[in-house]
Amino acid sequence: MSWTWFHRFGSPPHVYRLARRLTPWFAWPAALLILAGLYGGLVLAPPDYQQGDGFRMIYVHVPTAYLSIMIYTIMGVAAAVGLIWRMKVAHAVAASCAPIGASFTVAALATGSLFGKPMWGTYWAWDPRLTSELLLLFLYLGYLGLRSAFDDLQRADRASALLAVVGLVDVPIVHFSVVWWNSLHQGSSLLRLGGPTIYSPAMLAPLLMMICGFTLYFVAILLMRLRGEVLRRERAASWVKEALAT
Amino acid sequence: MTGLMHFLAMGGYARYLWPCYGITFAVVFLNIYWARRLNARARSEAKRRLAMREKLVLEEEEA
Amino acid sequence: MNATAAALPSREDIPSALDVAGLALMRDLRLAFRKRDEIAQPLAFFAVVTTLFPLAITPELPRLREIAPGVLWVAALLAALLALEHLFRDDARDGTLEQYALCGRSLTWLLYAKTAAHWILTGLPLALVAPFAGMALGAPVHALGGIVITLAIGTFALSLIGAISAALTLGTRRGGMLLSLLTLPLAVPILIFGAQATDLAMRARGFAAPLELLAAFAVLGVTLAPLAAAAAVRISLE
Repeated sequence: MSWTWFHRFGSPPHVYRLARRLTPWFAWPAALLILAGLYGGLVLAPPDYQQGDGFRMIYVHVPTAYLSIMIYTIMGVAAAVGLIWRMKVAHAVAASCAPIGASFTVAALATGSLFGKPMWGTYWAWDPRLTSELLLLFLYLGYLGLRSAFDDLQRADRASALLAVVGLVDVPIVHFSVVWWNSLHQGSSLLRLGGPTIYSPAMLAPLLMMICGFTLYFVAILLMRLRGEVLRRERAASWVKEALAT
Repeated sequence: MTGLMHFLAMGGYARYLWPCYGITFAVVFLNIYWARRLNARARSEAKRRLAMREKLVLEEEEA
Repeated sequence: MNATAAALPSREDIPSALDVAGLALMRDLRLAFRKRDEIAQPLAFFAVVTTLFPLAITPELPRLREIAPGVLWVAALLAALLALEHLFRDDARDGTLEQYALCGRSLTWLLYAKTAAHWILTGLPLALVAPFAGMALGAPVHALGGIVITLAIGTFALSLIGAISAALTLGTRRGGMLLSLLTLPLAVPILIFGAQATDLAMRARGFAAPLELLAAFAVLGVTLAPLAAAAAVRISLE
């Protein structure tokens, strides 16, 4: 089997040009899906029996939470690829992911908090999901902090890549321990943090559209950032001059 | 107009729901803005470095 | 003039990885005993922090007893974080760390030795001093043994995890704060299970289950953390 397709992704000029061409193919479908999801979720879907119109917050909360975890996973995998195969492009992918993931983690925490207040009566609860999400934010911030502490971009890449990989291994462990910790204290907990009610297909279809739309949106943003990150890592290359002219 | 008012009221959940959507889409647009800014900075950095290198090459040739 | 060069030592003559690791361990211990106040500082910090909680909350022993496991663990965690800063600092400064990386013997084993020495010098004393702090927070006498065991294993796991972040922040300017920020999320499982084990010990219940989980983390850390730390050291030495 020929691995050229893989190694072509290691070529910065190729990635730079490819990212530019691909971005609209992700951006426009993303916008369409999100708009359709918004219409379906806010207008078409009927109110929930228990949660009334409040359940509509899941149409933004679930995508942001899903994105925050998915982006961290991609970041960790890209970091591992960068460390093992010494691919600058892989490091550029990881670096591009971090700010996107961190901001969506903040959004997930905020939307989760706003969802929790009318449903459970409190803006914050130390339940497994919110607590894990908070720890994920700390992991992102640690990654970004480590990056900015280095002047040399290559060392920043490699050090933060190792941190991302260690963090990726740690995320399941952290989540497991948080779930365990929470289950210990359920008896004394004043809140009944039940799961979501059963949703009908009319309610779930827009959710699926939002999740897909946000995923495509993430890829579009990633491709945009990737171009800038790739450019920053290419100093003496001759293709840069040609690329800047376009 | 009551249709729109009814929609905006969101069955009484409005003061949680609309900030929810507001924050999410603020993050959505912020990321677009950050990506553009990153690219603009990367491009101007690269142009500057190229210009400096070409200047150095010219100076070497003259020397 | 007789210019026969001495034969280069063959691979069998150089001590094995285990021997070199043992040497590194003894070296670290010997060096540390010359600077005894560096050993005492984390202990003093631990004592001070433990004292802060009653001052900030309440002097009533029954209430303090409720929060004692958490206080002990948070104070131990903070003291361990402070101590982590000088795990690699001196060796990185005088080039010993580079020698370790270049010596041709396993860097992983050497780092494991350094981490073990670090634990003997900081974590173990912390675990031995903790019962006194526990008593001050209202812990019953039968719980003191459990406090020592849980904190001993927990600080060991902490030293292992902390070695990774200490190695990663070696080359950076504002190392200390960043070191703490990087280590804390990774240390959360240790904190959760350790504090729960100590809590159960204080209630005179069997604390085997969380202790075993804690020990499992320590074992996992022993096998994986020095590898990651060695990789991190190589990155910072580049």
